[in-house]
Amino acid sequence: MHRSSWMFLALAVCLALVAGCAAPVGAPTTGVETEETAAPAEVATGDEVVIRLSTTSEPTTLDPNLAEDYYSITPVEQMFLGLTNINNETAEIEPELAESWETSEDGLTWTFNLRDDVLWSDGQPVTAQDVVYSVKRAIMPETASPYAYVLYIIKNASAINQTAVPTDTYAIDTLGVEAVDEHTVQFTLEAPASYFLSISSMWTLRPVPSWTIEEFGDAWTDPANIVVNGAYKVTEWNPGESLTFVKNDSYVNAADVQIERVELAVITDQNTEVALYESGELDVAGEGAGSLPVEEVTRIREDATLGAELHEGPRASTTYVGFTMTKAPFDNVLVRKAFSAAIDRETMVRDVVGSGVPATQFAPPGIFGAPDPEIGIGFDAAQAQAWLAEAGYPDGAGFPTVTYRYFANTLEEALAQALQAMWKETLNVDVQIEAQEFPVFLAGLKNDVPLEQMPEMWRLGWGADYPDENNWVYEVFHCTDSSNYPRATCTEADELAKQAALEPDQAVRKELYAQVETLMFQEEVRVAPYYHRGYTILTKPYVQRAYPTFAPVNWDTWRIER
Amino acid sequence: MIRVIIRRLLWFIPVFFLVTGITFVTMHALPGGPFDSDKTPPALVRQMEATFGLRQPLYKQYTIWLGNVLQLKFGPSLAARGKPVESFLLPGLAVSAQLGAFALLFALAIGLPAGILAALKRGQWQDRLAMLISILGVSVPAIVLGPVLYWLFGLHLGWLPVAKWADPSDGLWPYISHAILPAVTLGAGLSAIVARLTRASLLQVLYEDYIRTARAKGLAERVVTIRHALRNSLIPVVTYLGPLAAGVLTGSLIVEQIFAIPGMGRYFVSSISNRDYPMVMAVVVLYAFIIVMVNLLVDILYVFIDPRIENT
Repeated sequence: MHRSSWMFLALAVCLALVAGCAAPVGAPTTGVETEETAAPAEVATGDEVVIRLSTTSEPTTLDPNLAEDYYSITPVEQMFLGLTNINNETAEIEPELAESWETSEDGLTWTFNLRDDVLWSDGQPVTAQDVVYSVKRAIMPETASPYAYVLYIIKNASAINQTAVPTDTYAIDTLGVEAVDEHTVQFTLEAPASYFLSISSMWTLRPVPSWTIEEFGDAWTDPANIVVNGAYKVTEWNPGESLTFVKNDSYVNAADVQIERVELAVITDQNTEVALYESGELDVAGEGAGSLPVEEVTRIREDATLGAELHEGPRASTTYVGFTMTKAPFDNVLVRKAFSAAIDRETMVRDVVGSGVPATQFAPPGIFGAPDPEIGIGFDAAQAQAWLAEAGYPDGAGFPTVTYRYFANTLEEALAQALQAMWKETLNVDVQIEAQEFPVFLAGLKNDVPLEQMPEMWRLGWGADYPDENNWVYEVFHCTDSSNYPRATCTEADELAKQAALEPDQAVRKELYAQVETLMFQEEVRVAPYYHRGYTILTKPYVQRAYPTFAPVNWDTWRIER
Repeated sequence: MIRVIIRRLLWFIPVFFLVTGITFVTMHALPGGPFDSDKTPPALVRQMEATFGLRQPLYKQYTIWLGNVLQLKFGPSLAARGKPVESFLLPGLAVSAQLGAFALLFALAIGLPAGILAALKRGQWQDRLAMLISILGVSVPAIVLGPVLYWLFGLHLGWLPVAKWADPSDGLWPYISHAILPAVTLGAGLSAIVARLTRASLLQVLYEDYIRTARAKGLAERVVTIRHALRNSLIPVVTYLGPLAAGVLTGSLIVEQIFAIPGMGRYFVSSISNRDYPMVMAVVVLYAFIIVMVNLLVDILYVFIDPRIENT
């Protein structure tokens, strides 16, 4: 045939295909009348209890020693048992792998007594040596664990972890952890630390199977190789698409686990996530680290069906406006106070974010040591103006144009614009807002960046690693022992924070932390916290589950009741 | 012909060095690294960078990377700890290529006939309608069109799945039905471009002397249009479509995100903000290779379309 005839034929075929596609014959319909809800799609094959969840980002790793972000920590939590667990309903720390624990008189030695009936999924018993192996692995510099720093309270951990290999060497056996016998682990700490109990629930030090790691190296977490001791095991991972978890029959409490299979789909777009929930293809939506976009939340709240399925509550995460305390005019505490008091927190939460709780202090209630009721500076326009006038800028006269820098994403942009408008309206000052890509933004705030290049104000936040004030005021703001982005000089607040870390009496610690928070955020105003993040999760009515504030979820406690 | 193909493939070598060299230097010049976070202490970050060889001099890192690439090893992803980059990229490419192929098919199936019709019925209502629709296709962005389509056809009417991707092994209808909405979203803009290009180019050819001659010779209008005019007017369309196809085949971030399709589009963007150097390099090499291949394909197509064009 002539070349042109090939063209015509190809065209005809295309047209036929399109025509065929446009009129689907026998297309499955779900009998939808309204646009709100579709009939739930069939879920189980046979009698298997399945739940379909989603994640906005793929886990970066399933290795407990390497997990860093929320999306990796959640699957790790289901597959690997910790020494202790944070109960999803009561937020109490309860035994998991460890049945009991004791602390020595001087607070330097912690002994954990492990259960003797826990097995790995390949039949091996879980022993104290597995715990020791994991802690050592997390600390070894070659592992490059991003969370190693939470273990620095263990004797010699910091020194070993920061050894410049291969030029320098270290002796891993000097690390303050040892297996006294098959089922007893002993930790020796650098200093007394009551918050170590919280740390014992974290994923970074959960026991890992040494033999599997030695055999497969980096590929040990592949579904074909992985060995777990938790309630679930990953059986399939389609990159960028989905992960499948199946109930681990060797799990010590397997009899109590109802859900046998978990399908975790990777859905990046939150609007699509909600649409899939509405079409009945997902059982839970909105469980990402953030919350659903404000437009969606507003629509959902007003919807009769969806509104009833929406669950809201606080998360252990706070957003704040940071001040560069060494840069004029923010070297004047009155200016900082004025700017903090000018932020209308209620409006931010209700209209800009759509979820969460207004904040005036740093750690939200629920974190051990957080002042309750909240202290700090709230929205007070008159007071803000008074403070600014007292600082020498009545009604904003003579106030230089300053910069507020944030990292680029939709929510942050809305927050920045709202802040800019609020400061203009209440204080009559001009603030320029500047967005940067996150890595650039972070690099630009470091302590060695020259003052001229630092913005006067910037946006940061903090999410709990473990539920104790030590992780908040000490590890984020201490003048010498943290990144100290505000560049604060050392005051009594830092002394007290350090003291509270070492104090064994929990009641005394609470009092100390109340003082620290008051000093740092009400008196010195190092930063201006303005909201605690909240969660907005849609759950189908047939799923019974808890909504933890900061602990990772425990799928094994969920129930499906139809 | 064979000589042409070989020469074109050899061109890939200098392109490779130029593109990867520039990308490598630029990426490392960007502030921030793959392990930076507000939680990890700086000393630990430096330690992690050293473990992955990121504190060596740039030329050394590049040569090491080059050595690995020649063995077809693109290195471990820094964002997804330890997993080789190919294990993400290749499955993602396969899916993106399928989606892109569907989108191109749609674009040609709608765009070509629309453009031809518009040119033949120039000035009449068919022309105006076709061009109006094509303007809409170009101006309505994917981020609007996608959700509107899945709301209408997925949630409201329930004819098609809302999102996600199906494999041919799941059945022919599931495979096609999952591909329709994303293909239309991706192809809408493309079809508009194809329509306008075809129309403009065909109009130009239709007024050429040799077309008048053909008509004068008494040939049927359909033969004149399709066999003579259309073929010669396809040169600009094919030229433009070539690199466009390369872009579409390697994934569209927005459409893939909206429809939760596991393509490779997001690696283009996420790898940069993650400072995942091995991933960035792999993505860049892949893209350059595809562009070179597509341009070669376009040149081969030229020979079939217009014998006047000589490839030397």
